[in-house]
Amino acid sequence: MSISQTSGAASGGAVAALDAVKKVATSFSVILTTLLGLLIITFVVGRMVPANPVIAVIGDQADQATYERVHKEMGLDQPLYIQFATYLGNVAQLNFGQSHVTKNPVASDLARVFPATLELATLATIIGAGLGIPLGIISAVRKGTWVDHLARVVGLLGHSTPIFWLGTIVILVFYAKFGLIPGSGRLDVYNEGLVEGPTNSILVDAIIAGEWEVFRDALLHVAAPALILGYAAMAYLSRMSRSFMLEQLRQEYVLTAKAKGLGQRAIVWRHAFRNIRVQLLTIVALAYCGLLDGTVLIETVFAWPGLGQYLTSALFFADMNAILGSVLLIGIISIVINLLSDIAYRFLDPRTR
Amino acid sequence: MKIQRRGLLISSALVAASLMMPLAAAAATPKDQLVIATNMSSMRGLDPNEINQLEAAEIVANLYERLIVLPADDITKPAPGVAESWSVSPDGKTFTFKIRSGIKFHSGNPLTAKDVEWSLRRLVKLGLAPSVDLRQWGLTDKNVDDLIKASDDTTVVLQTPEVWNPNLILYSLASFSTSILDSKLLAEHDKGGDLGREFLQTNDAGSGPYALRTWRVNDLLIADANKDYWQGAPKMRRVVLRHMPESSGQRLQLEAGDVDVATRLSSTDLTAVEAGGKADIQKTPGFGFYYLALNQKDEILSNPKVREAFRYLIDYDGLANTVMKYYGIKQQTIIPAGLPGASEVNPYKLDIEKAKQLLTEAGYPNGFSKVYYATPVTPEYEVAQSLQANAAEAGIKLDLQGGDHIGKFRTREFEIFSARSGERLPDPHAVLQSYATNANNSDDAKLTGLNAWRTAWDVPKDIQDMVTAAAHETDQQKRADLYAKINKAYLESSSPLITSFLRTDAKAVRKEVKGYIGHSTWLTRWDTVSKGE
Repeated sequence: MSISQTSGAASGGAVAALDAVKKVATSFSVILTTLLGLLIITFVVGRMVPANPVIAVIGDQADQATYERVHKEMGLDQPLYIQFATYLGNVAQLNFGQSHVTKNPVASDLARVFPATLELATLATIIGAGLGIPLGIISAVRKGTWVDHLARVVGLLGHSTPIFWLGTIVILVFYAKFGLIPGSGRLDVYNEGLVEGPTNSILVDAIIAGEWEVFRDALLHVAAPALILGYAAMAYLSRMSRSFMLEQLRQEYVLTAKAKGLGQRAIVWRHAFRNIRVQLLTIVALAYCGLLDGTVLIETVFAWPGLGQYLTSALFFADMNAILGSVLLIGIISIVINLLSDIAYRFLDPRTR
Repeated sequence: MKIQRRGLLISSALVAASLMMPLAAAAATPKDQLVIATNMSSMRGLDPNEINQLEAAEIVANLYERLIVLPADDITKPAPGVAESWSVSPDGKTFTFKIRSGIKFHSGNPLTAKDVEWSLRRLVKLGLAPSVDLRQWGLTDKNVDDLIKASDDTTVVLQTPEVWNPNLILYSLASFSTSILDSKLLAEHDKGGDLGREFLQTNDAGSGPYALRTWRVNDLLIADANKDYWQGAPKMRRVVLRHMPESSGQRLQLEAGDVDVATRLSSTDLTAVEAGGKADIQKTPGFGFYYLALNQKDEILSNPKVREAFRYLIDYDGLANTVMKYYGIKQQTIIPAGLPGASEVNPYKLDIEKAKQLLTEAGYPNGFSKVYYATPVTPEYEVAQSLQANAAEAGIKLDLQGGDHIGKFRTREFEIFSARSGERLPDPHAVLQSYATNANNSDDAKLTGLNAWRTAWDVPKDIQDMVTAAAHETDQQKRADLYAKINKAYLESSSPLITSFLRTDAKAVRKEVKGYIGHSTWLTRWDTVSKGE
């Protein structure tokens, strides 16, 4: 972007305001470029999927006339760049087209499946950060002791255990063998259909409707997949926060504080922790992004009707609109979370102002 | 600070413990609800004139009704449905149906002959996948308004341009696609002349024993019993279908009692469920085959001796006891077991030496190499891998490539292809017209719906003539004799469309569930279901 120089006579306030505008404009153009790139790549890849969307719609026995008519209806007879341009024009009007598989507008499909994933990923992030960060810090402070070793083993296990395997084992042991947790899905059959809308997150909807039995059931259902994902996130977050903390504890101000006779606890929590807050925020945001689009396997294992499952089946049936819509949504979510963590960053770290 | 941290640990332990609290009651589905685990990923809407797939068909079968019913235990005997009686004119071209009075749609509108006329015309006019059910008898969007007419509130007359065996027409009128729709309701929900298509993606306009309550795509479908159903209120107050893509997940839920019926289990899980003793395995025979197609545009593969050699490279018996145990019944002839003209004969078995001898006679003593397309799903891929291994022993190198190649099969751009087909008409003609008729074998003919054309097989003229004659034959005994002849001729022609197994669909049903009977034309009913102890 070309940037016009502001005259030195301009008041500081104006410069600052202009600066802010520039920053926003720059990040906005970066975002748009990113999304466009994402769409182009997805579009091309989606076209290379060896599944035929027309046959997926009309079935394998249909005659040629039907084939050609549906091919045309789907706009597949147009050159690729025209198909893509048409698509972009629709997206600009927030119209992601219709899913060939579900026959619904993709936007309304996403509004239904995304809250399920959001619910799962949010709980997993809370569990992962709530357990992982304290564990990492304790582990750093007690470096080399048995506490540290134990924490690192727990972390290593979480990092190296395949999620789908863990999910299957949990279902086998806790559901099939001992009946401690309910099976897959979001609710028991009895409670299905008691709570409908407005947010499509059953936990929130149940609270709004005051259906406590449904709430309890939904919580029981989400527990196992959220804990498994949370464990994986915890492994990553504890490893990272341990190394951030260790780095701080090597700094000179820590020595100074020790020399001044400040207690270990005060040093760790009042000084060092404040200095790693920003880094922690960044990795939590990263983990959250990862969870939002990385729930595919756990959603399959637990028959959790979320975005991951939706996208998987869309890929399977070459459902182009659904694929592009989902990818776009994931892209937007990642960008929004990054933006939010950027803003929080500025807020928490005086040096960035 | 220490206290705070301890507090954190204790509270997280409490949260974890409370989440692990056992459920108050042991898992079991409610007595008056039927829960079916299924795979919804290929379900496309619930419009009877648009869908083309097993899971959706079963739902439509219970939301709507049809003129004719084919009983699950005797599907070749058309029985009254919405039509309480019918007659066929002496010339065999005019069918007159008397519509039962007093039937109401879920909306409360009465079902009349006008609705029947409108629904059948709609199927033909929309011209989507299932419209073949009526179009194959010569009905088109041009002539359907003249050929399907309601003469009064309780009479519908259907005419066909040519004479067909009347069973073909009656069977077609029992298909899910010829369901009777509430024309008044759909007129209210018409969007820009779409005949209610958009409305039907998420709503029902039927008169069946169940009414659609909720459908969340790839998640869950709930249907409520229609208490005013003319044949009496169903015992199951609700039917719930849950989307469970994982076979192991379905099996665990079935064994725990959280679902009553599991519809998509792998061979391994079916074996385990059967051994577990909590559920019965239902094998419902269909009218499709696991087939192998050898492209006749290929010089080597069009040699009759080579075609014959391939028949000796399939391990029929080995597969029947393993991967195909629940998915198919060994059958090497073309007319599905149980239909007129079917035969018990299975002359082929795995015989590498015999295959080698045939290849030598054909002039390929050292074999050859071909690309082989197969779909990478159970059990199709296991069957393909088995063939690949046997062919290698006879000197034929098959480059097996998984993927969705049906498009290439339709455009004849393949060498060897295998898949499974599924027909919905309980009549030999349904299979034969795809496997044994090919009116024009040129590339330009584009008869892409026919397996014979796709395989570029110029079917011997005497077979094609017999197939046509049998479809038009109105004398049932003569017809059965003719089909027996066709069956024999097809086997002797060493067709490049090699059938190895008749397709069966396996479901696991918990022992306390009574009356859930798999239907060969995808019309399994829920209103006959009850639950014992």
